Amino acid sequence: MEKGGLELEITELRLGLPGTEKMMKKRGFTEMIMTSSGSNSNQCESGVVSSGCDVEKANESPVAKSQVVGWPPVCSYRRKNSCKEVSTTRVGLGYVKVSMDGVPYLRKMDLGSSQGYDDLAFALDKLFGFHGIGVALKDGDNCEYVTIYEDKDGDWMLAGDVPWGMFIESCKRLRIMKRSDAAGFGLQPRGVDE
Amino acid sequence: MNRATKLRPSTSEMNYFPDEVIEHIFDFVASHRDRNSISLVNKSWHKIERYSRRQVFIGNCYAISPERLIRRFPCLRSLTLKGKPHFADFNLVPHEWGGFLHPWIDALAKGGVKLEELRLKRMVVSDESLELLSRSFVGFKSLVLVSCDGFTTDGLASIAANCRNLRELDLQENEIDDHRGQWLNCFPDTCTTLVSLNFACLKGEINLSALERLVARSPNLKSLKVNRAVPLDALTRLMSCCASQLVDLGVGCYENNEPEPESFAKLLFAIAKCTSLRSLSGFSEVGPLCLTAFIPISANLTSLNLSYAAEIQGNHLIKFVHFCKRLQRLWILDSIGDKGLEVVASSCKELQELRVFPSDLHDEEDNNNTAVTEVGLVAISAGCPKLHSILYFCKQMTNAALITVAKNCPNFIRFRLCILEPNKPDHITSQSLDEGFGAIVQACKGLRRLSVSGLLTDKVFLYIGMYAEQLEMLSIAFAGDTDKGMLDVLNGCKKLRKLEIRDSPFGNAALLADVGKYETMRSLWMSSCEVTLGGCKRLARNAPWLNVEIINENESGRMERNEEDEREKVDRLYLYRTVVGTRKDAPPCVTIL
Repeated sequence: MEKGGLELEITELRLGLPGTEKMMKKRGFTEMIMTSSGSNSNQCESGVVSSGCDVEKANESPVAKSQVVGWPPVCSYRRKNSCKEVSTTRVGLGYVKVSMDGVPYLRKMDLGSSQGYDDLAFALDKLFGFHGIGVALKDGDNCEYVTIYEDKDGDWMLAGDVPWGMFIESCKRLRIMKRSDAAGFGLQPRGVDE
Repeated sequence: MNRATKLRPSTSEMNYFPDEVIEHIFDFVASHRDRNSISLVNKSWHKIERYSRRQVFIGNCYAISPERLIRRFPCLRSLTLKGKPHFADFNLVPHEWGGFLHPWIDALAKGGVKLEELRLKRMVVSDESLELLSRSFVGFKSLVLVSCDGFTTDGLASIAANCRNLRELDLQENEIDDHRGQWLNCFPDTCTTLVSLNFACLKGEINLSALERLVARSPNLKSLKVNRAVPLDALTRLMSCCASQLVDLGVGCYENNEPEPESFAKLLFAIAKCTSLRSLSGFSEVGPLCLTAFIPISANLTSLNLSYAAEIQGNHLIKFVHFCKRLQRLWILDSIGDKGLEVVASSCKELQELRVFPSDLHDEEDNNNTAVTEVGLVAISAGCPKLHSILYFCKQMTNAALITVAKNCPNFIRFRLCILEPNKPDHITSQSLDEGFGAIVQACKGLRRLSVSGLLTDKVFLYIGMYAEQLEMLSIAFAGDTDKGMLDVLNGCKKLRKLEIRDSPFGNAALLADVGKYETMRSLWMSSCEVTLGGCKRLARNAPWLNVEIINENESGRMERNEEDEREKVDRLYLYRTVVGTRKDAPPCVTIL
């Protein structure tokens, strides 16, 4: 039943007009997190993301002028560390800002250094010296905090649902917020309709 | 070494002095070239100079072997080595091409050299060589690595742990595999000698408390450049610790859009104490507010590098630079715009060196209004009378502008102009830029380094050959029409040491015209030109004292392709003089003829 419902949602997204794609994706996400996590939802998320991507590509500006190798003569270190490179968060350059509600300063961490969500959970705990953030990624329900991330499109998504590889490719920044605040943010805590 | 007083029956009066006196006199001769010259005067001077030489500069690590170096200069303390050719910076040289440090460290260690300083550029450095370095030289003081790769933070840990007298660890723009380990912790508590620490190019997390403790026990620390893993509060604490002695600061990436008022106030307080600060850099991914925090000490700055500060908009850059009245060196992004450069021209009257880098490398903004043009360049030349060195990436140029610049600034030593679009002509007259560059070389009699770009014919090379008498390094891309261009340069520029050419129609005739010329030069690079395999082979045959290297795209060696058509064009040619013959460490993609 649920699965059937989700399939419909995927269909709905594909039928959407390019301009409204973003909004629909958000709604799709909200629907999505109401399901239990697991392979089903991963599949759905992939479905959502891929359809989103297809539409997105159609909207992209024309391909950049063909680049000559090594031109302009800017050294490769500088190329890799110029802003535009960094903001297209590539694997290995996965340096993202992490903010935590109640903590006055941002931290930065290298996503590329983590191998998966478990690793990330551990790293986040270490970063803020606070146990329990990691738990949010794993079991969700009982934790005071939720971990959310801003993706390439600027949407805020719940961390932990998509496959790891997809996550680090699209994650631009992380935020650890109180579960109580999350409800008003446009996300719903996981498992709410279980 | 015989140090007894001797009278030498020689025509030179100076030879009546004892050796120690001559040696003492030589101490005042610091430049490598002058030292090389005095060593040629006579045998006696050669010997004295050899044993008293402390600093050696090797511009091409394959020009000589470490063993021969040590035989000649057994008492050397400081060594500079350069490895890969310059165009390696632009991904034109395969990663495994060469330039390995290890044989040098090995030989220096075995030779009992009391090495104190090592400065490397474009070398492949391994953790093993860093470990060996750290264990072999008790008095080792200074390690400077520029554009190197091949090592990890484990190598840095060895340096930290074992170099008891370390004063300087300066890592500039290296590709370092960051294991996010505890290398900073490896500095022993007894290490209090640090004067300069630069790890801005490290990408990973660092142990902040280890860093703070290290800075706290380094009373001589003058230069500190941190990486982007250092948040605002930690930076503030670091600065407070060494504020009064800090001369050179590299700011990491700390939070930025709205720092908490209290943290920001603490930062301002710390900055106010940095009365000795003269050089500022970093600011990658930092918001404008944090640059503004440095305004109180901006009038003291002589060097400012904001070329990685991509998140700071042009107007904020302009506002800051406006206050830097004593600035001598400025590295900035083209987001400052022509208007910003006009502000620089009116505010920074002491400016000597300017570098303007492109901020939009991926052509994402078709109507890039903030890039710089000839207008900015002319403004700078008019406003900054002490300017002698410029690197300028721009989207357009005119002959008129270059002629004006030449008139305003005849003192250029380095003039590197890069028009982003290859072959672009004068955007007003649609002519080539021959006349513009011609004016530069004619007016700037002391010009030592030149990079040309835009639409250029053989004529510009005629001018360069005619007028650029002091030119030592020339970079050419997408320029020229025939071999005559290259020939004019080779024949005319008597002091030419390095010539690098890409995507230009120069071929065998130019390459082979004067083989002896290459003995007077360090190296020649030609890629995507018209030289053929046959031409290169002929060159190699006629000049056994050259290493003529052909670099191929594919890994499989050219050996099996010996019967290959000699008319085939060579993709990349790199040749250099050497006294030690063919190197043994070339990878399969490199064929040495």
